[in-house]
Amino acid sequence: MARPAAPGITLTIDDREVTVPKGTLIIRAAEQLGIEIPRFCDHPYLAPIGACRQCYVQVEGQGKLQTSCTSTVAPGMVVRTQNTSEAAREAQVANLEFLLLNHPLDCPICDRGGECPLQDQALAFGPGESRFVDAKRVFPKPVPMSPLVALDRERCVLCARCTRFCDEISGDRFLELFARSAGERVSIAAGEDFRSPFSGNTIQICPVGALTATPYRFVARPFDLTSGDSVCQHCSAGCNVRVDVRRDEVVRVLARENPEVNDAWICDKGRFAFRHADAPARITTPLIRDRGLEPASFGEVLTWVAERCAGARVAFLTGGRLTDEDYYAMSKFARTVARTNDLDHRRAFHGGLAELVAAAGATDRETSVTYADVERAKVILVAGLDTEQEVPILHLRIRKAAARGARVVVVHPRRTRLHDVAEHILVRPGQEVSVLDRIREGVDDGSPEARIAASIRDAGDSAVILAGERLAEHPLAADVALAVAAKTGARFGFVTRRANDRGALSTGVHPDLLPGGRRLDHAEERAEVEAVWGPITASEAGRNAHEILEACAERAVDVLFVIGADPLRDHPDAALVRRALANVGTLVVHSLELGDLEPFASAFLPASAAIERDGHLTDWEGRWQRIRPVRGALGISRPDWEIFCGLAAAMGADLGFETLDEIRREMASLLMPRSVGERPNVWAGAGAPQWIDDLTVFTYPMLVDEGRLSDRADELKAALEEPAFAEMHPVDAEKKGLSDGATVRLATERGDVLVPLRVTEHVAAGSVFLPFNQPGVAANTLLSGRSTAAVRVEAAEPVGSADVPAEAAEAAEAEEATA
Amino acid sequence: MTVDFEPRLTRDWDDPGVIGIDGYAAKGGYEALGRAVTMADADILELVKSSGLRGRGGAGFPTGMKWGFVPRDTGKPTYVVVNFDESEPGTCNNRELVERDPHRLLEGAAIAALAIGCETIYIYVRGEYLWQSIVLERAIAEAYGSGRFGADALGSGKRIDVVLHRGAGAYICGEETALLSSLEGYRGQPRLRPPFPAVEGLFASPTVINNVETLMNVPDILVRGSDWFRELGTEKSPGTKMVTISGKVERPGNYEVPLGTPFRVVLEDLAGGVLSGRGLKAWTPGGSSTPMLTAEHTDVHLDYESLAEAGSMLGTAAIMVMDETDCVVDCAQRMVRFYAHESCGKCTPCREGSWWATRVLERIEEGDGRDEDLPVVRDLGKNLLFRAFCALADGTASVINSSLQHFRDEFEEHVRLGGCPLKVDHLEEVPA
Repeated sequence: MARPAAPGITLTIDDREVTVPKGTLIIRAAEQLGIEIPRFCDHPYLAPIGACRQCYVQVEGQGKLQTSCTSTVAPGMVVRTQNTSEAAREAQVANLEFLLLNHPLDCPICDRGGECPLQDQALAFGPGESRFVDAKRVFPKPVPMSPLVALDRERCVLCARCTRFCDEISGDRFLELFARSAGERVSIAAGEDFRSPFSGNTIQICPVGALTATPYRFVARPFDLTSGDSVCQHCSAGCNVRVDVRRDEVVRVLARENPEVNDAWICDKGRFAFRHADAPARITTPLIRDRGLEPASFGEVLTWVAERCAGARVAFLTGGRLTDEDYYAMSKFARTVARTNDLDHRRAFHGGLAELVAAAGATDRETSVTYADVERAKVILVAGLDTEQEVPILHLRIRKAAARGARVVVVHPRRTRLHDVAEHILVRPGQEVSVLDRIREGVDDGSPEARIAASIRDAGDSAVILAGERLAEHPLAADVALAVAAKTGARFGFVTRRANDRGALSTGVHPDLLPGGRRLDHAEERAEVEAVWGPITASEAGRNAHEILEACAERAVDVLFVIGADPLRDHPDAALVRRALANVGTLVVHSLELGDLEPFASAFLPASAAIERDGHLTDWEGRWQRIRPVRGALGISRPDWEIFCGLAAAMGADLGFETLDEIRREMASLLMPRSVGERPNVWAGAGAPQWIDDLTVFTYPMLVDEGRLSDRADELKAALEEPAFAEMHPVDAEKKGLSDGATVRLATERGDVLVPLRVTEHVAAGSVFLPFNQPGVAANTLLSGRSTAAVRVEAAEPVGSADVPAEAAEAAEAEEATA
Repeated sequence: MTVDFEPRLTRDWDDPGVIGIDGYAAKGGYEALGRAVTMADADILELVKSSGLRGRGGAGFPTGMKWGFVPRDTGKPTYVVVNFDESEPGTCNNRELVERDPHRLLEGAAIAALAIGCETIYIYVRGEYLWQSIVLERAIAEAYGSGRFGADALGSGKRIDVVLHRGAGAYICGEETALLSSLEGYRGQPRLRPPFPAVEGLFASPTVINNVETLMNVPDILVRGSDWFRELGTEKSPGTKMVTISGKVERPGNYEVPLGTPFRVVLEDLAGGVLSGRGLKAWTPGGSSTPMLTAEHTDVHLDYESLAEAGSMLGTAAIMVMDETDCVVDCAQRMVRFYAHESCGKCTPCREGSWWATRVLERIEEGDGRDEDLPVVRDLGKNLLFRAFCALADGTASVINSSLQHFRDEFEEHVRLGGCPLKVDHLEEVPA
């Protein structure tokens, strides 16, 4: 953690001198010396509470022992821990005896056994025999707090770490201490579920085996696990994780502390959605359509694909979660071997923001925003982003800043979970830029924008503007963002959504951009790349993802590579994707499985899973982080970069690298920081708001949805996934004569869906929210390449009519019956 | 020896009329408030400081000094909180003081408010004190109705508001930080200090928390001055103290005595001696949480210093008397059971230790004691004292330590005989 540069305070602990910043707790100062004072309730990211009383030390000149987790250092203080003070040691032993009185001592069957602070301390200096002969306190157990979290109250030491996490960190105050004296217990309000996307952190910080994870209960012993350090691939937060593997199967994911990134937390998706790489549908050998999708060798399939690529019109669509090395190899392969600039990793258009961070962010730290900047910010403006659902750890960091007094403003069409710490300005989708523009103008009319503009100006470079993907869709998003930053002195960050969107941008998986954000159509910048790559043989200008799909649909593409992506689910125009896949000559899929692409795939190349790969991910800040393989690749699956090397060889070319080290050396020269020329700013004001449509549907993915990476995370879905819904403002609902709970038909020019309606003022009037990938409702069937569309909403036949699948109808009936 | 002095807190107890505001005013009530609204707050503070008034809730902290800690330049409101969560076993003097003379409390609290620039007074009433709440509510209504409280108290332009809050029956809420948490709507559990309530108390604002009896001394100090106040009591413990005496005495009840009055005077002259002329065995000077004393300590003077010297504390001056037919193990067991039940659960030693102590003491009393239990009881006393988050467990430890210190042989006898030598019917519960 960042420390104040204040002069230090020198004290003595166990006869050794240490100098620490003013305000440091004794327990932390001791850590500096490598002296571990036992503790249960203390946690470096939670406020001191002094509840467990385990960390007693003797402070010279003080009659009573002091709890080192609540006492701050003083100059010249002489502290004696259990190592040099008999009194401190005796107090700690006595406290341990108290803690063990009612403890069930069921270590042999406890998930925590082997990695339990209570067990470790009892072993280290607890008495061998108990003096307690009376009946222990018993509780019913386990008590489900949610489908993910089960509580064993008998093991609980009531340290209140879990309740404090809920209170201080996530703000989702579900867990609370109930009752008092020996009957005190952790609990949850009757009928409530621990419905927080951060619930798993309470399990990890539980110092005993009281809070357990249902997916991990009784699954493994710690000594059965092999562990690897990795970085979470679920979103762009870049959380550091530890992946625990038992007999080659991932059984648990834990947060790894990194104060620069995720503190000590991860979200529940990162923690519990880990089974997709072990899905039964995983394919670990190549397949070729000509042979009825039978297994083939890599030699065979690469030759087969190479033949089809020779002289053909090739295009590439990728997901956002490959490593930088994979992206780099693909970018080079596309442009120097496959002779095309038709490559893209984006789902939707990014109005200049992508180009902005590709050029400046990844290579120029001065214009980027980091977690530390957010934490220290005085004003944080979030635009077009639902942080809790899209980048949960950024959400926690914003809450941390708010707790320190930062003013937080969210400009979004829908209220977000920052609602208790932030002011929300609900705007129709696409109108976020108008609000930003009014802030830029510095309006002085008593409006919310005027107040925000004033506080941003006052904060100077302690103001941070965070833009999400939905702001980015505006054609001039980058221009308005830069204009606001330039005018107010605020810092500006573009928060990409997927784990390595930033890496894809900076390595040039983009039709117009080469590595390092160099522009394809800029002779000098292109020459810098060609100096490393040799000639870029692609001659035509590139097409973006949507245009590539359109070209495929029009049979203007011969070979389409789909790499680590499922456009049928993810591209915001399902109908177009279906036509594209049907009409493209050859579809080559690199993935873990075929899934919905099976009917269309011509060849399948088995990609290794992220936990089997070595490489780098670039988080939303632009921070480069290494992931290392946690286990060997299954079957003969390979990382994508290796597939491209092989394919290049099969096509008689040479990418110039055969190992990761060689890629990194080459890549580094192109991704080195470089100065970027002034960007001409064409922003000339947003003009009057334009209400083209009566109602606009907008969509973004909820944290836990039907996305592929949550496959088989059944407990997670049971805990956090919601049944399909759409949201509409009461004013609009009244106009249309629709009521809360009614089934409605949402119809756009592309298609229609039936979905239950929620009427809520937490969505902007004039807009309809439909989460992206809901069970049974695919929002992308309504879209035509953007995340918004003009929509008609009308009352529909009650669910159960012919066009609803039978099981959905049954579920609805069951629900009605219980209502 | 007799007690001969002009009663102060109890002087109007014979007049039921003072419960009403007119009766109270007729006896000079609210004269002090009338003066206070015209005084500079610093002058009120100085007067109370010079009187030497000390907090009557147990700790005996100088009241004026406490008020003086309140910063006035924070931009936040300041609060006076009246601690009427009188819950210490054996203590019921606040109850009678309020029942008989409620306006004196309101007047004292209002003067405290003026001294620290506070506009809102909170009175935290023990949940079980329903009748006393009703009495206070009536008095508050009268004070507002007569223009003494409200937006323009006594026409002074100063605002005095009072909010009465009833607790929900937790002993811990008498601990001042737990009281604040409870008042704010949170669980009644003590908070870390610092920040101290004077700086960050109620709603994170500067707050003074005073006991009922403390505040009821304030009106007289304003009217009669600090020298008058010091005429009774000792130099370090000036004034009078309400003493509650209960247990095996002829006339249990609340008595006002000058601080420094010998225990013997209270026991023999006021309470009429030990019941039925039996011998005195043990007594607590300040509620069950203060270490027990014995017949040897009969001549100890009841003031903060003398009792500390005797190895105990004045506490709430709630004297509980046990005679020669009482079993000390049984008494200790009941007292410890109370503290185990009232432990808020926040910290380990109090929650677990007092629970364990109850189990062991119950067993010893019921005849299931083992030789190994006595070292356990001894260690429990040691491991509870000064180890818990707040002072609640120190009370538990006091019971254990003092009973073991003075009556160890009685514990040993229980174990040796496999039962209580006094054949106390321990199944007979104290009526609720």
